[in-house]
Amino acid sequence: MKVTLLAFASSAERLGWRSREMEATDADTPRTLFARASEDFQPGVARVAVDCEYRDWDTPIGASAREVAIIPPVSGG
Amino acid sequence: MEVILTNEAITAPPLDLPSREIGACVEFWGIVREQEDGRALTGLHYEAYEPMARREFSRIAAELQKKYPISQALVIHRLGWVPVGEPSLFVRVLAKNRGPALSFCGELIDLMKVAVPIWKLA
Repeated sequence: MKVTLLAFASSAERLGWRSREMEATDADTPRTLFARASEDFQPGVARVAVDCEYRDWDTPIGASAREVAIIPPVSGG
Repeated sequence: MEVILTNEAITAPPLDLPSREIGACVEFWGIVREQEDGRALTGLHYEAYEPMARREFSRIAAELQKKYPISQALVIHRLGWVPVGEPSLFVRVLAKNRGPALSFCGELIDLMKVAVPIWKLA
């Protein structure tokens, strides 16, 4: 299945991209996907969301996942 | 709760009371300051993961509604470039009494700053 990896703000700057299509399986975790997309990937303090819900870096994304986004510390307002 | 994410300057919509039981209207304006982390700025650029930002605002509002029963809430967050002195955030909360309205408004902003995927970039 195909998923879209998204990166925002400081994470996008660090990775050097904002969106990337990846081939994935339902057993992939956010960590394995981002590690495949960027060799030296380190999440640091960033969180991750699968289809707009916060998830754990090491929980499988499941068969229905479409978007996996790295969420650096937020600063709205 | 209505959530508006916009690239336009924020204007507060006219006050339209949903019932005659509204006794409190709390409004908050967040304004871009000139000084951020000791640096003088001309403005800030805001970026959002929009579908998730809407979803997180709604989730937070549903949680707060359990603690602070209110009648209506509106959030407008500006995105893109916001010059110093212009609002980046507007919140309006309508409730029967001031206590829940003030608490809802304050905690909504606190929780936004923890969970809603919006970023300011100097």
